[in-house]
Amino acid sequence: MASFGKSVIFTLLVLGFFVYVCFYVTGLSGGSGGGEAKGVNPEAGEQIFWGDGQCSTCHSIGSQGSATRGPNQEGLAAKAEERAKERGLSSGLEYLIESIVTPGEYVVQGFDNIMPKVYEAPILLGREQIMAVLSYLQTLGGDADIAAINKFKDKIPEASKKKVIPFVPPIEVDPAEGEKIFFDDTREVTCSKCHMVGGKGAKVGPDLTGIGAVQTPQYLIESILKPSQVIVNGFETMYLITTDGMAYNGIVQSQTEEEVVLLVDEEGEIAEYVFYPDEIEQMQKQDISIMPGNFGDLLTTKEFYGILSYLLSLK
Amino acid sequence: MNKDIGSLFKGKIAIAIFSFLFVVMFQVIASHGVHAQEADEMVQYRNFFGIDARLVVWIVSELHLMFAAFVLGVPMFAVTVEIIGAKSGDIRFDNLAREFTKLLSAAFATTAAMGGLLAFCLYGLYPGFMRYMTDVFHPIMFVYALLFFAEAFCLYGYYYSWDILKEKGKWFHIFLGIMLNVFGTTLMFLANSWATFMMSPSGIDLETGALTSLHAAFENFLWMPVNIHRLIANVAFGGFVVGAYAAVKFMGAKSDEDKAHYDWMGYIGNFIGLAALIPLPFAGYYLGREIYSASPVMGNIMMGGAFSWTFIIQAILIGMLFIGGNYYLWNGMDRIEGAERYRKFIIFINVIIFFCFAVWLTPHNLPLSGEERALIGEQYHPFSKFFGVMAAKNAVVNLLILSTFFSFLIYRRANKGEILPFSKHGNSARIALIITAGLTILYLVWYALGLSHLELEADVKQYVSPLIKCLIIQITAIVITILLTFSNRGKFAQVFLLIVTSLIAVVYLAYYGFVVMEKANMVLRFLSVTQVSVVISCLIVTAVLDVFIFKNAKEVGQIRWGKIPLRSQYALLLLCVAIVTLMGLMGFIRSGLRMNWHIYGYMQDTSDGAFTPSIAYMGWTTTLIVVLFLALVSFVFWLAGLGEKKKEKTA
Repeated sequence: MASFGKSVIFTLLVLGFFVYVCFYVTGLSGGSGGGEAKGVNPEAGEQIFWGDGQCSTCHSIGSQGSATRGPNQEGLAAKAEERAKERGLSSGLEYLIESIVTPGEYVVQGFDNIMPKVYEAPILLGREQIMAVLSYLQTLGGDADIAAINKFKDKIPEASKKKVIPFVPPIEVDPAEGEKIFFDDTREVTCSKCHMVGGKGAKVGPDLTGIGAVQTPQYLIESILKPSQVIVNGFETMYLITTDGMAYNGIVQSQTEEEVVLLVDEEGEIAEYVFYPDEIEQMQKQDISIMPGNFGDLLTTKEFYGILSYLLSLK
Repeated sequence: MNKDIGSLFKGKIAIAIFSFLFVVMFQVIASHGVHAQEADEMVQYRNFFGIDARLVVWIVSELHLMFAAFVLGVPMFAVTVEIIGAKSGDIRFDNLAREFTKLLSAAFATTAAMGGLLAFCLYGLYPGFMRYMTDVFHPIMFVYALLFFAEAFCLYGYYYSWDILKEKGKWFHIFLGIMLNVFGTTLMFLANSWATFMMSPSGIDLETGALTSLHAAFENFLWMPVNIHRLIANVAFGGFVVGAYAAVKFMGAKSDEDKAHYDWMGYIGNFIGLAALIPLPFAGYYLGREIYSASPVMGNIMMGGAFSWTFIIQAILIGMLFIGGNYYLWNGMDRIEGAERYRKFIIFINVIIFFCFAVWLTPHNLPLSGEERALIGEQYHPFSKFFGVMAAKNAVVNLLILSTFFSFLIYRRANKGEILPFSKHGNSARIALIITAGLTILYLVWYALGLSHLELEADVKQYVSPLIKCLIIQITAIVITILLTFSNRGKFAQVFLLIVTSLIAVVYLAYYGFVVMEKANMVLRFLSVTQVSVVISCLIVTAVLDVFIFKNAKEVGQIRWGKIPLRSQYALLLLCVAIVTLMGLMGFIRSGLRMNWHIYGYMQDTSDGAFTPSIAYMGWTTTLIVVLFLALVSFVFWLAGLGEKKKEKTA
């Protein structure tokens, strides 16, 4: 019996270690842990923010998360109050609701109008879930006020009932073929020379990991065919003229007081140039993307839809 | 005595039949209830007295799967052990096989009851979804039920006819055991088709749900990969659970005889578990690759999305299994006279295993704060980033397996001294070796030919030719190994083959993995299979070689069964807890990959439980499942042992 007791204690210790690791990993991966939170409360909201809501694909909070596509939400409560005043809204909460329900109404300076409506496919958050996220966002520099959120209940839509019909390309294509083309560096222009997916590829352009979850097919089609239409924040082309009269067009990889590192496209190859402050005559952001605008000519129809299907599959 | 057995037998059959009838009756009632509701409003979801339906189904299905894994895995090695006993005439093997079957018999009724409970839960809590599944699969469900009868009859026939068929009819008894395995495995394959249909539906119209081909729905894309993975995993599971049973018995044993018996049983359990564990990563890789092929979205969710972090936990559990298995083997060398000659290798194997574990554990994308990122200058750590990618992970998995195999080889020869020249083993050994090497080479040639005929663009295809060269080198190495063995240099031949394999699979292909990741990423999948093929071919040839080289070798010492340090028994317990937890974790991942779909791409889960739980929540739930399973299995084993205690007292 004593041996059985020792076995039980040993087993519980091993399982305790397992639970500890699960909690530790949850902390690292950005989840809230502690079980399934439900209802309208910050705990549930936090879980949705880092989970099903997929907010963390674009937003970080302080040093938590690594996304830069959307604004970092640290201290959001105070920022929301300021923006509400700026927009003539009654409170910071109303601003937050507007940002979620009609995200295109106001776009934070320096960012692009790329936020999807989270109550529509593919994210499909319900009213209660959105309210929970709101309560969580209120805690970022402030206090949650559930009663106030409830007052705005009618302004928050329920999850769309529209049947989720996946995007069907006009011709039959295989996302796996699209993936192959995406990473095929034997081509004249290779997507992965500038974009990263799942840790593979380069970081000249925006990281496309999870892009299918947050962007519509229409946005991606436009981004491939007309890359200058919307340029993701931080990836604008920089026009740099040196003191000896040389001109460069590229993306700023890093900029410090000591140096500016520019990634320049040289006939399909990305070259890295380092400039010191005394070498720079002028720097100016351009409205034209460094991404080639001739993908319509470079890709066949099948290749184009293959890449599109692949990008949409990245959720 | 006979009356007792008879009534027990009838009782268990009655439980099995009762469970089956209950399920059928419930199906009829449930489907009738559903039809009756059609006029009003169809109930899609219910909860279980206020408890989330998903949680209830999660727990019950995992418990059913764990018991099923045990009752499917154990008969495979019980029959194998019995065959060894029948061939060798060693009664110990026969007794061991019987003890395994005693545990099996006790667990079988619980498995059936759990199956019944699961069916209740599914039909009661997810009526809409189950109505559809029944519509699609009802012909197979009837076959499943009939096979269940066949399995039950074979199992109880196998267990209760042990004494009757012991003297005359041993091979008929073994035949019963084989049929038990055939029916059990077929049952699992049938049930797997339902689970994999939910992940990769086929044979239906994805818009309307109308069944277009039952055969296609049954033989869906992920069916065979899951079958193979589960089959191997069940053997490992059964082996480690039996090992833990033996460990607890060993720790409580009073007599040296009992200690020796349970020590031996624990060793066999560990051996079976480790033997099945070695090919498991390959089966897992195959399954993962097929999930990617079935749905790139699901593949990305698994490796780059919501579930990617769960693989860190998986790596820790698999690390526990390899470290625990090796630790047990090294401790086992304490009971072998002559083992001290090989102790010097253990420290090196230890270092290699921990290194492999560390690399396997390292994520590619470290969670860094803004400051840390600024300090490093990029998202990835300058050194550890190389450990986070598949090229490095594939290499260390193969090194881990080769190291564990090496551990096993030194364990096997621990008390062996001078060996006989290979020529003394006669033509049968020569023929067995030629057949083994021949089949292995045939496989390598087949795969190399497959690679050479791949339809790829010339720029990509150039990266495949080094893989073909590696396979040719390995084939040549196997031929040289056989020739060296025939020249009575068998031990050297083994070392030669292990070195060549390590150089190809671990050193060269690890380096080349980074090259293809950079230049032709899609070649990585062929590279991984090449690595696996080279390692497997080495394991097979070396293992068969080892059997013959050390046949009738001079023994320098005895194996003192029962004289193993007590701490080794905790390693057996660790192996059991780790494999049960791992099965719980992998069940969560496999099922969770569908995200908010009952049937991926066709039927959405609109219930309250349709969200992906956090890893912490999964941790708690899996722990609860593991505790429940271990408690139930301990109780069932205790019940099975009551008869033995009664016999001891009577004696």
